[in-house]
Amino acid sequence: MKNKRSFTEELSPKQVLELDACTQCGECLKHCPVQAVTGNAAVSPPEKIRMFREFIRSTDGLKARLFGTGKTDRKLLEDFAKAVYECTTCGACGQNCPVGIFTQRLWPMLRKEMVKRGLGPIGVQADMPQAIMNSGNPYDKPASERYKPWFPENVRVAERADIAYYAGCTGAYEAQPMVRGDVVVLNAIGAPFTMLPPEEEVCCGFPLFITGQHDLLEDLVKRLVAGYEARGVKTLVCSCPCCVNIMSRDWPAFYGRELPFTIRHITQFVAGAIKAGTLRITKELRETVIYHDPCYLSRGVGVIEEPRDVLRSIPGVNVIEFERHGLNSRCCGSGGAARKVYHENAIKMGRQTIDEAVAKKADRLILSCPACYAKVNEAMRGYEKQIRITDIMELVSGLITEQEKK
Amino acid sequence: MGTILIIAAYGVYAAFWIRFFLHALLWWKAVARPASFAGPAPPSSVKACALSVRDVVLFWRLLMVNPALWFGEWVFHVSFLLVVLRHLRFFFSTVPEWVWWFQIPGLIAGYVLPLSLVYILIIRRFSVQEKYSSPVNMVLLVLLLAISSLGLLMSTLFMIDVVMVKLFIQGILSFSWAVVPDSLLFLLHFSLVLVLVPLLPTHILTAPLVMLEAEKRKLALPLVMHEK
Repeated sequence: MKNKRSFTEELSPKQVLELDACTQCGECLKHCPVQAVTGNAAVSPPEKIRMFREFIRSTDGLKARLFGTGKTDRKLLEDFAKAVYECTTCGACGQNCPVGIFTQRLWPMLRKEMVKRGLGPIGVQADMPQAIMNSGNPYDKPASERYKPWFPENVRVAERADIAYYAGCTGAYEAQPMVRGDVVVLNAIGAPFTMLPPEEEVCCGFPLFITGQHDLLEDLVKRLVAGYEARGVKTLVCSCPCCVNIMSRDWPAFYGRELPFTIRHITQFVAGAIKAGTLRITKELRETVIYHDPCYLSRGVGVIEEPRDVLRSIPGVNVIEFERHGLNSRCCGSGGAARKVYHENAIKMGRQTIDEAVAKKADRLILSCPACYAKVNEAMRGYEKQIRITDIMELVSGLITEQEKK
Repeated sequence: MGTILIIAAYGVYAAFWIRFFLHALLWWKAVARPASFAGPAPPSSVKACALSVRDVVLFWRLLMVNPALWFGEWVFHVSFLLVVLRHLRFFFSTVPEWVWWFQIPGLIAGYVLPLSLVYILIIRRFSVQEKYSSPVNMVLLVLLLAISSLGLLMSTLFMIDVVMVKLFIQGILSFSWAVVPDSLLFLLHFSLVLVLVPLLPTHILTAPLVMLEAEKRKLALPLVMHEK
């Protein structure tokens, strides 16, 4: 493949430095969930960086400058593209990097470069832009089914309110007990909240961002922000860590200025309500629960304590931790849109989460991410180890009295 | 032989600077072009700077993830630095006083350096914890071990005429070439250093900046979704 375009076109100056700064020490491999299930060092972070350095050399090295850019081995490029898309972008490598490379952001940008070269995305990931244009969501499901199958009849949504709830595509179509729990709890808190009509609540852009397909992002973000702004929203609440991550970190860049509202994860909002006394969990739960930190919530935006605060406020509950938790949590396998292509890896990673929860004798595995919820449930199907999997708001919604639900 | 070494030294010196400028150019191009997408930059602070100094000086992040390897790496880097500082006496015609301060520590570091490299090699090759060995890093380790062992031999068992070494180095620097010291160990030592220089990893220059960014990001993380 003849190169004319520099391989650094999509990278920020800091990312150019990061590629240079990798010492190839391999510490990241010990924390990489893909390594844990494949053992294939060829798809490891230092190998990806080493390969990408080679690509950069082919367009920006001394030989390229003196004699013109040469050909880059097509097979090597394809191998790299597979490796960079097999990653779940969980960021555990960067968290444990002795140099501190921000890999949770670097890998998506390398994917973007692959997209520009026609080497990415991989498999069904390529269908997402068209699906989002057709139906507003990456699953290409009709907007009419976005809320209808799960939205509780007794919950009222205001036309305008300071608080808005964004269900998100994965929650609405693939993890419905979770989003149902969200609105039940929001309703119980009592403050009016608004939602966009189903045809207006389009994809937040995260699946496109993470697979390097940025073309639609600005339009999606501007449509969503305008919709919430028109409803007078001051706080946008969402339970999906991936949505929350792109909303808080990247929406301002695509929107072009600061957002007219703040973003809060549902656990932050609910923990605040419990603290303020506007929500009381009265029913007892005599169980040991283990909480899994979603990568994009803990490492991504630093929401670590609030889910635990919510769980600890449940009378009778015993909260235990995974060996790797908080900033160092282990990926459940559903991140980075890799689950859509590398299904077997994702199932194996999900089962590692189940294995540890069972080994620690937890009665229940608590999740707070729709992608984790869908994938870990899928991983448990047909698996010899079984544990009850519950979303955090699904749990809370079942522990508040009927009086409070109304 | 001396002429070949002198020409090679200039070639390596030129290659080093070309490599440096190509890296700088790559970075400058990234700075100059409008970024296709740049997320918000975490704010700078005195605390972030202080923490990154700790990270750079003590290899703190490595200590947190791999204390066994950290021990070897930290000792290696410190002893390497001391040995390099000790070697500066060959590069100044009039040796500044501060270079003299490093002569004894540098001499001791000369003993420690090969030991630390052997330790790192053992950890890297034989620890079941280690899942990855970069071929380039292994070459560098072996090369450094050979260079440091030869250096140690020259300062202990097979003493070399340091005046001749200084004249040789000064000759290269001043373009008035002197005769190469009559020592096979020195020829090997110097040749291997010439092999080492083009392989020197550029992370020595960039890692401190990336560590600073990492500290800034870490301090800013709680502010992403919480009240400022």
